[in-house]
Amino acid sequence: MRRTTLVPYLFVTPAMLLLLAFGVLPIAVAAVVSLTDMNISGLANWRNVEFIGGANYVALVADPDFWRALGNTGLFVVVGVPAIVLISLGVALLLDGSDSRFARALRSFYFVPAVTGIVAISLVWGYLYNTQFGLFNWLLSLVGIPQVQWLSDPWLAKFSVALVAVWRGTGLNIIIFLAALQGIPREYREAAALDGAGPWRTTRSIVLPLLGFAIFFVTVTTTIAWLQFFDEPFVLTDGGPLGATTSMSIFLYKEGFRLNQFGYASAGSLVLFAIIAVITVIQLRLRRRDVEY
Amino acid sequence: MSSTEPRIRRSRPPEVRRRLAISLSVGLVLLVGALTTAFPLLWMLAGSFKPQREAIDFPPTLLPQEPTLANYLRLFTELDFGRYLLNTVLVVLIGAFGLLFMAMAGYAFAKYRFRGRDGLFFLVLATLMIPVQVTMIPTYLILNGMKLTNTLVGIALPTLVSGFGVFLFRQFMSTIPDEVLEAARVDGAGELRTFVQIVLPMSKPILAVQAVLAFITGWNSFLWPLIIASDQKLYTLSVGLALLNQQLAVDPALQMAAASVMVVPVLLVFVVFQRYVVQGFALSGLK
Amino acid sequence: MKRTATRTLAAFAAVGLAAGLAACTSDGGGDADGPLTVWIMGDSGANFEQLVAPFTEETGTEVEVVAIPWDAIDERLTTAVASGSGPDLLQIGLSKLSTFAAAGALLPLDEHLADHPGLAAGNFPDGVAEATQVGGETVSVPWVSDTRVLFYRSDILAENGIDAPPASWAELREDAKVLAARGDGQYGYYIPQWDSPLPVIMTWDFGGDIVSGGEIDFDTAAFAEAVDLYTGLYADGSVPTNGDFDQTQGFISGIAPMLVSGPYLAKSIADAAPELDGKWGVTMVPGADEKTSLFAGSNLGIWHNTDQVDASLDLLEYLSSVEAQLSWFEINGELPAVSAALEDATLQSDPLVQVYSQQLADSKVLPLVPNWDGQTGSDLLNALNAIVLTGADRDATLAELFTKTAGTPVG
Repeated sequence: MRRTTLVPYLFVTPAMLLLLAFGVLPIAVAAVVSLTDMNISGLANWRNVEFIGGANYVALVADPDFWRALGNTGLFVVVGVPAIVLISLGVALLLDGSDSRFARALRSFYFVPAVTGIVAISLVWGYLYNTQFGLFNWLLSLVGIPQVQWLSDPWLAKFSVALVAVWRGTGLNIIIFLAALQGIPREYREAAALDGAGPWRTTRSIVLPLLGFAIFFVTVTTTIAWLQFFDEPFVLTDGGPLGATTSMSIFLYKEGFRLNQFGYASAGSLVLFAIIAVITVIQLRLRRRDVEY
Repeated sequence: MSSTEPRIRRSRPPEVRRRLAISLSVGLVLLVGALTTAFPLLWMLAGSFKPQREAIDFPPTLLPQEPTLANYLRLFTELDFGRYLLNTVLVVLIGAFGLLFMAMAGYAFAKYRFRGRDGLFFLVLATLMIPVQVTMIPTYLILNGMKLTNTLVGIALPTLVSGFGVFLFRQFMSTIPDEVLEAARVDGAGELRTFVQIVLPMSKPILAVQAVLAFITGWNSFLWPLIIASDQKLYTLSVGLALLNQQLAVDPALQMAAASVMVVPVLLVFVVFQRYVVQGFALSGLK
Repeated sequence: MKRTATRTLAAFAAVGLAAGLAACTSDGGGDADGPLTVWIMGDSGANFEQLVAPFTEETGTEVEVVAIPWDAIDERLTTAVASGSGPDLLQIGLSKLSTFAAAGALLPLDEHLADHPGLAAGNFPDGVAEATQVGGETVSVPWVSDTRVLFYRSDILAENGIDAPPASWAELREDAKVLAARGDGQYGYYIPQWDSPLPVIMTWDFGGDIVSGGEIDFDTAAFAEAVDLYTGLYADGSVPTNGDFDQTQGFISGIAPMLVSGPYLAKSIADAAPELDGKWGVTMVPGADEKTSLFAGSNLGIWHNTDQVDASLDLLEYLSSVEAQLSWFEINGELPAVSAALEDATLQSDPLVQVYSQQLADSKVLPLVPNWDGQTGSDLLNALNAIVLTGADRDATLAELFTKTAGTPVG
């Protein structure tokens, strides 16, 4: 009988300390700050800060910019997450077909966007999308199509920004799906082939169900990431034009760092955190119900 | 031998031919997809070798007409990118400790029962849902209190451990058979020794995955070095690249060279480790 | 088991709180008798080291330069204010001056001016030093000046029958129409969608202002005229409507042969397109009743709780000396703010500088509101861009702007 020891606690402590210090503590601080009117002079001198209760939350609800950011975020999630899941899954299925050197080389190509820092990405894509001098419009002009305002048209900008994010997000998920596919025993597929099932049928009826957990995992993590969508709209359009690509995270950032309204931004952060938590829990519940037939 | 066996293959049977056709078309689709995906960065790489004048030419040239190494030279001689590179490497190396901490935590969550385990693990997952913007100022205040601002450790610390990593380690380590661990204990090995000598070696695949992910995070980190380093000597590559971004983009070729310096090493790391990365995810029970 | 767990969790919480509390103690900026830390914007870091080398030689005080990316100044300021530890000296863009002062980040300098005559208001062009006072206090010293002038492609204008650059905004509007008629994708003038001072310059040129009674007031006749001009240029089809139009490339390629910008553009054009020498020029803003332009640039300030007040003041005085100011122009291309330096003969021999000085003599500072970049200027741009880019109703949008900004205190 093993003595109940401190050992697990010792193992867990370093990681937990860091996660608590840089994850949990900040959100707790934000919760407190969200009940105050802290701004830049308050940050400098805590005596300038006043407790205002739920006033920030009330103001949030009345702020059209908040609702627009929420709407944009929702749109990005609804469009982006399925796109990433489907594309990653599709590419993984195709890549899994062959285990040749060729396929492995191609894997690296697909992973390139995922390893590139956002600053480099903004540079390249900003140039590609540029209306007058960008590569895309130049290619279009060769076939007689007039200039497209990739980043200036309110609706097109949303699409352009989401495209870059999808481009970036598929890399890691392709790897995850490939890994999951490797875990499917060869026998299953061979048995299906013997039974006369074509590759598409095999995929649909055997492989996909077995990928259930992987698909679920990718969906949940991608959803969480896209609810916090920040990098791409920030570097490509700064949330513009006129707020068309402003996500919740950008809204919070601007309130906090450009307008120095830290109390207000903290309230927004709590709201975003709550939304992420609720959606994740819903996804988890759905999955549990699904599996428990 | 040759006379008794009927000559079966005059031409490939339609079955095989069809499979070959599918294979080829799949290969083609993948190739086109891969090139399209990698295109923006290939173009960036090409642009880094253009002289300044050619880089802002319109219509744009795909390949440099007058390739030059001048941009790269300038980065390392005039613009201190050698130092930024060194700092970035150091930050990544510090990240190796994070690997160890996450492995330990994952192991504990997977293989031990202890009070508060589920609660703590829930917290771990919860940290994934916290928007980064909200953590910026409190994190800075904490680091300031620990006198770690303006140090490389301070830069690496906020992202040293991730909930995602702990989760993956736990998933993986829960697949390690209990018998192996029991056998070690029966042999008299202490817990720590068991961890180091049995569990870690068995965890190579997941360690590879985490190492690559940690490398990518550390390498590309922009936010924390920017805020925490008040001394330019501690800037990392990302910040150096941002410095080149003035209000008017006058020298895109130089910026692309800097961006290329950032991308190429990470890509090399991935290419070398990719088999282990896939294996690592596979063995984490992602099915 | 339960006790161990709760004790552990309690320990975590305690550590967390302790770290938080410890973090709240302020730290003074810079060490006494150590090197002076200076924040410089953009990538001029290496150049600045060159500039202060003589200072270090003379006084033995080391100067450490930290280059801050333009996009990151907000974060830097916030974290520095939060922790209390900043540099010793810092460069402050004029549009951010109020924000810094509101944060209490700057050391009031009035009491030190007597000992450091080089910093006195008289050294700088009329009114500039006073205009950059916040709440009647001097918290910074002008360092580099910047203004806005009209850039034009003389060759393209000549090709289209325009022999001289427009001398009034009305003329510019006409000329822009002619130039935009050159063809598809060609424009006459460029209005940057992020340029909040431009409509203010236009308002000044129509003889008015956006300030009355110490508060922001956009509801004036001159501003209405400025809006007419701004929206008119768009309505004529003379300006590009995409937000990512590249100013330098636009000018060099001739797509936008006229625009209002600052001396840094001149340097960029000269560097990137030397073959255009002689084919472009600068002149004062077209103007209307007045030819007033923007007095922009940066000031230098001292961090409020620096340990090295005297050394910082000495450095400040050095940077305000005529030699240093002229040296900086040579090294980095930024115009001096000190009058004596501006009037220097060698400097004035540059025809571009002549235009800049002429314009600087008739320039005003943006109103010192608490937050121009983040708030007032941003609201102005949003309103104008909504009207010209999305067709929002002019009167309704402007009315909203008036209500939003009414009562914003100036200075």
